[in-house]
Amino acid sequence: MTTGIGIVGASYYLPPKRKAVTDIFRDEQIPAEPLAANVDFQRDIGIEAVHVASEESATSLALNASRSVLEKTGIDPAEIDLIIDFTSIPEEYVAPTWSAAGIIQKEIGATHALATAVNTGGCASYHTTLKVACSWMAAHDRYRTALLFAGDKVPEFNHTYYPITVICDGGSAVILKKGHERRQILSVEVATLGKLHDIWYIPGFHRRDPADKDRKWLHMTADIPKFNQEVIPMNLFMFRKVMRGALSLAGRKQQEVAYYIYPTFSTWDQKAFCQAFMVVPEKVFTDGLQRHGHLQETDMVLDYVDAIDEGHIKEGDLVMLTTNGAGFSWGAALIQH
Amino acid sequence: METQVGIAAAAVRLPARKRDVGSLFQEESAILNPDIAARLGIEEVPICNGESASAMALAACQEALRRAELDVAQLDVIVDYTILPQEYLVPAWNMSNELQHELGAKKAFTVGFSGGGATNFLVALSSAAAMLQANENLTSALLVAADVTIPGNRILNPSDPVSVLGDAAGAVVLKKGMEGSLVIDTELHSEGSNHDVCYIPGGALAQPDDPAVYRMELDKERFDKAPKTEKLKVMLETLLERNEVKREDVVFGLYPNLSAEDQQQFADSIGFGPGQMNSNNRKSHGHLQGTDFVVNYLSMIENGIVKKEQYFLAASHGMGFLAGVSLLRM
Repeated sequence: MTTGIGIVGASYYLPPKRKAVTDIFRDEQIPAEPLAANVDFQRDIGIEAVHVASEESATSLALNASRSVLEKTGIDPAEIDLIIDFTSIPEEYVAPTWSAAGIIQKEIGATHALATAVNTGGCASYHTTLKVACSWMAAHDRYRTALLFAGDKVPEFNHTYYPITVICDGGSAVILKKGHERRQILSVEVATLGKLHDIWYIPGFHRRDPADKDRKWLHMTADIPKFNQEVIPMNLFMFRKVMRGALSLAGRKQQEVAYYIYPTFSTWDQKAFCQAFMVVPEKVFTDGLQRHGHLQETDMVLDYVDAIDEGHIKEGDLVMLTTNGAGFSWGAALIQH
Repeated sequence: METQVGIAAAAVRLPARKRDVGSLFQEESAILNPDIAARLGIEEVPICNGESASAMALAACQEALRRAELDVAQLDVIVDYTILPQEYLVPAWNMSNELQHELGAKKAFTVGFSGGGATNFLVALSSAAAMLQANENLTSALLVAADVTIPGNRILNPSDPVSVLGDAAGAVVLKKGMEGSLVIDTELHSEGSNHDVCYIPGGALAQPDDPAVYRMELDKERFDKAPKTEKLKVMLETLLERNEVKREDVVFGLYPNLSAEDQQQFADSIGFGPGQMNSNNRKSHGHLQGTDFVVNYLSMIENGIVKKEQYFLAASHGMGFLAGVSLLRM
């Protein structure tokens, strides 16, 4: 099975300014107590520093990544039929009324495109968007080239998603093309558990406390007791479900997977994934964790690009991109190199 | 298209309370004179009085699924086409997941789309139909939206009113292998330079703190300049040519209830006569974003206007940013 759609190229943009996680923990008053007997969040997270956008907007991060992928692939913006924003946290203006898709269309000059945004999936929004884009392209001859992009900028003092990870700002972009024979997308599987919809959320302006001068209503908020009770027991089961689903759709076996792209949340999370699925750490791209921490849905693009550029993924490799998202969503995609 | 996807059922949930537009204009300090009243053609709008958006959406979904005789456990995908702010901030949160839980749609996954005003419904329709057509293992989809207006923001562009916004939820069930209300094809195009013709300037990263800009704003000058109905006409021609359908074979149009003036401009552009579009729902509901299509579809079915095998269309200019035209066949 194949979708007949390939990844022409992928790229990312990270703002130049960096902030050490020790400074982030200090500024955000992160608890110093160990999470568990063998895990100390601050000591064991495995992230040294993250990129911080400062004056750069979320859209500009996405635009830089989009321009980069256009330059890298040589695709003429006028060829683009579909533009889909898969950013998973708030952008310049309120969603779902607005997304950055239109401004990206304007700035790159993609005059023939449909510009829209997929607004669900959390960090698995890339997979949801791949599913949507591949379906549109498979069902209609007129959708031949797609630009998928994201631009994530967290509020100044909301870089720590305690007790999971530390967040980096950045943008990513991917060009898909129908009939592109390299880096073929063999299958995409997504799954959501609706009962976990409110584990991670951002309250929003209409729920703000007028006395809140720290804009906590714009911060990612977590129901940690519910996360521990309901997400943790399901997480690896759901990873197994989507990866098996993607393998089954493509008629492939786990033993054939040469390399995994997995989110850069923390050392203990990467270790748990490798142990659960009996994957040797060398087959998972983990280097990004120390370099930049977690970039929401952009982890899937950034780590994929770096894994290719650094020689971890070779011609002929079957690559599994898999992630969870916001506690309720999981995705897996198989790419044949 | 090889696999036929059609609308199996639809439902709408409206709040019980309605307000007349005269009192709303007074409340929002806008002037309602006979000229504006005629241009809008809206008499009253449904308004929530304690009902939550997701509760209305749930009720609409349950009714649509019941009418479609679809076991919710077999539902494959839930697609949210809401345009107004939800109970938490999107895209970090999306109502579709709460609905998946409340409905018990354990097999389903969720998707939501942002932007494009009422055209977001056509984006959802097109993408859901494509997902069912392109994926053998997917057979049914539930499209849903619940739009509840920001308090004090019902008159769109109070200085020169363009519409009056009501509250509502709508749901549509799509299935593979349908014999009627088939989704034949959809043409969608966005004009990136108009991305901010209609948006909420405050409440996100650009202007987080100012309550005065946490409201739907319309750039009336750019809205007026945008070639809205002209573009829809061209897109319809493209759509008809691609599907080898003649314009005269399209007997009815589903179109947003933005205003009498806007509906008339579209009818004139396409060449629709009286009775080929619904105007009653505009008078009694005002503009319900993408749910306008669901309300007008249900009226079309109830009135039996479109006969078996006849074509009808759904079109929206998306406030000059995202235009869409869908071709359907009864």
